[in-house]
Amino acid sequence: MDADELRLRNLTYSLFVELGRAPRPDEVADREGTTVDEVIAGWRRLHDWHAIVLGSTTDALQMANPFSAVPTPHVVEADGRQWYANCAWDAFGICAALQTDGRIETSCRDCGDPIEIEVRDGRPGDASLVFHCLVPAARWWDDITFT
Amino acid sequence: MNLFRSEEHVERWLAGREPGATIPVTTLADLAVAWWHDRLSPDWRPHTRDQNQAILERVGLSGPFWQLP
Repeated sequence: MDADELRLRNLTYSLFVELGRAPRPDEVADREGTTVDEVIAGWRRLHDWHAIVLGSTTDALQMANPFSAVPTPHVVEADGRQWYANCAWDAFGICAALQTDGRIETSCRDCGDPIEIEVRDGRPGDASLVFHCLVPAARWWDDITFT
Repeated sequence: MNLFRSEEHVERWLAGREPGATIPVTTLADLAVAWWHDRLSPDWRPHTRDQNQAILERVGLSGPFWQLP
């Protein structure tokens, strides 16, 4: 990842947090003083680096891990806002990335019962829960949306 | 990558499918802090494969399932 790609990546992430949602290419271009086409070209390179994830049929942001650009069943309240996480791991990751406490709302994938977890200093308020990772680490990026 | 009430719930959800790995939510929280804490830092640089593997091992996730490519 070169310096230009790193700057675009950091700007994309900082705008995500500033706006409380995924930035559009034109918003990034305005802030960077460049064109939408250049932002999209840069995003495609960052996608190849696994630094962000674009939609399968569009150039819109789908993930800036641990943040999700689209609604998911993993909701995090942190830093005065509500965020969507890509998975349960990322839900804790949002609190870690924002370096703040938070509250995770999700559900048991088996029975559907609501699960609410307070996160304080990186620790879960309910230690009885378990996390299941179906895909081995070697294949996480084969299909990151499924993973 | 989901949360479950217990290991029994995981087994029921799998319904005979090949299982992945089940870990305590406390381990997941430790992993999340180590993996994501620097994500918004202006000094962020991409983690190398070895750095990420070391994070997994540091929170106790070792063995073939947790081997990164």
